[in-house]
Amino acid sequence: MKIMVCLKQVPHQDARLDIDGNGTWIKEDGIKFEINSYDTYALEEALQVKDAEEAEVVVVSIGPDRVTQSLRTALGMGADRAVHVNDAATNGSDALGIAKTLAAVAKQENPDLIYMGLMSDDGNFAAVAPMLAELLGIPHTTAAVKIERSAGSLVVDREIEGGANEVVELQTPCLVAVQSGLNQVRYASLKGIMAAKKKPLDVKTAADLGVEGQVGAGAAKVQIAKIAPPVKGDTAEILTGSNDEIVAGLMGKIKELGLL
Amino acid sequence: MGSILIVAEIQGGQIREASFELASFANAVGSATGRDVHSLVIGGSAETLADAFSKKGGGTVHLVEGDVFENYNAEAVTAAIKAAVEASGADLVLMSNTPSGWDSAPRVAAGLDAGFVSDCFKIEAEGDGIGFHRRVFNGKLDAHITSSGGIVVATVQPGATAAFEGSTDGSVSKLDVNVGDMKTKFVETKVAESKGVDLTKADVIVSGGRGVGAPEKFEEVIKPLADALGGAMGASRPVVDAGWLPHEYQVGSSGQVVTPKLYVAAGISGAIQHLVGMKGSNFIIAINKDPDAPIFEVADLGVVGDLHEVIPALTEAVKAAKG
Repeated sequence: MKIMVCLKQVPHQDARLDIDGNGTWIKEDGIKFEINSYDTYALEEALQVKDAEEAEVVVVSIGPDRVTQSLRTALGMGADRAVHVNDAATNGSDALGIAKTLAAVAKQENPDLIYMGLMSDDGNFAAVAPMLAELLGIPHTTAAVKIERSAGSLVVDREIEGGANEVVELQTPCLVAVQSGLNQVRYASLKGIMAAKKKPLDVKTAADLGVEGQVGAGAAKVQIAKIAPPVKGDTAEILTGSNDEIVAGLMGKIKELGLL
Repeated sequence: MGSILIVAEIQGGQIREASFELASFANAVGSATGRDVHSLVIGGSAETLADAFSKKGGGTVHLVEGDVFENYNAEAVTAAIKAAVEASGADLVLMSNTPSGWDSAPRVAAGLDAGFVSDCFKIEAEGDGIGFHRRVFNGKLDAHITSSGGIVVATVQPGATAAFEGSTDGSVSKLDVNVGDMKTKFVETKVAESKGVDLTKADVIVSGGRGVGAPEKFEEVIKPLADALGGAMGASRPVVDAGWLPHEYQVGSSGQVVTPKLYVAAGISGAIQHLVGMKGSNFIIAINKDPDAPIFEVADLGVVGDLHEVIPALTEAVKAAKG
């Protein structure tokens, strides 16, 4: 059983978001990065499979040198091997370019299952997972809140509206994009972190994967023309002053609403 | 010039409101750029619905019917959309960012080798092309997306615009789609069991988010205010994901959608999935130490500060006033 887990390294959840010089992304200097929260649940799910039976968990990520740290963290949590696509040729890829890159890795790895997060904490596009499944010609589902495995298939509960779930059965090999909260994500143990240093981390280029010309800004079909703080319409009246003045302001409103 | 293809969605035996919202964007962009508006209606048996939609914004409707389309299936829907794109000559495909939409739209885009933009709150003609507007970083920044040409598949946030009002000269034609052997099978829908907390009945809800900091703080800080106001406690998704509170407390698109007299959002940044669950509230107070938190855009009254100081003080004041 081989499970491929796709991870994206993203700015830390509380990172300061300053717009860069081009106005098309945020400034990356001086901010901390972490594994995309949705992907951590995917990794945990794969590691739980590995806890239960013989399985190889391969983590894959695309990005510059700083991505190595996130891959080592994943290895420290228990993944067996990492693949790092580290090539400036992938810069400026749209979701389809990313999916094509991951598809090339998947074709080399031939996994039984591919797990990844529903969306990334930075772009929030929620695009790559279904795209990757289509490129590989395998079934998929998204927003998984429960996964049950049996011979030859997965039965997955996917989240729909109003607190309800839809249950779908996917023949393997298949891809599941997980929803946050699927499980409780483990921490890397000290022993795990030490062992991670010796686990294989292979670096690949676009050429190694045969995707030159299909990735990067040049191949992207959509691009961010501009990123900016939201144009705010009506926003809240902000109470200022001392704590007492603020509480008095809130109490005034609560009284007005007839709630006292 | 390619046409615009609206992918309508049937829910509860009706074409849902979100599809009429797509029709608004489609007809506006269509008029501005000289593109024809087409639609795709997929269902077990949907001729009547297709006919009505064709006259109310759907334009030229392609109807795909069959047992295999009775329940949502990503492979079946993807095949239907690809066939409709070909039949309509569309270079812009609009879908709603609903659980079906986010599941299949990217698959369709990859299958067409197309550009893809999700969860747009605005799509409009712009210069020679089309501008797509959406939020990134969990609602904190706006991104303006453009296409370098070719087909674009875009999903639209439900509620982003008003439903199309007006009529269109429509027609319906049947489209045959062969889905082939599918490796995906719909099993069943599990309706949410209502247990314990029914937030939809509460007059007052005091909700906590990640900013509350720790599970015990819900008991120590959030609940006392909810109790003092005679209301219920709620939570944002990250709190439930972290296991601090069970799912029944979750307010949001995949939890409960609430419209209380007063909603207090404490330590909640205001990601769209949460806002969808509470922005219909009569009055919203937000407390957050980040002045740029998106929650302040839907709140009526805000406090930029530490909820661990403000809320206990407020709780005491409420208790004192009630005597």
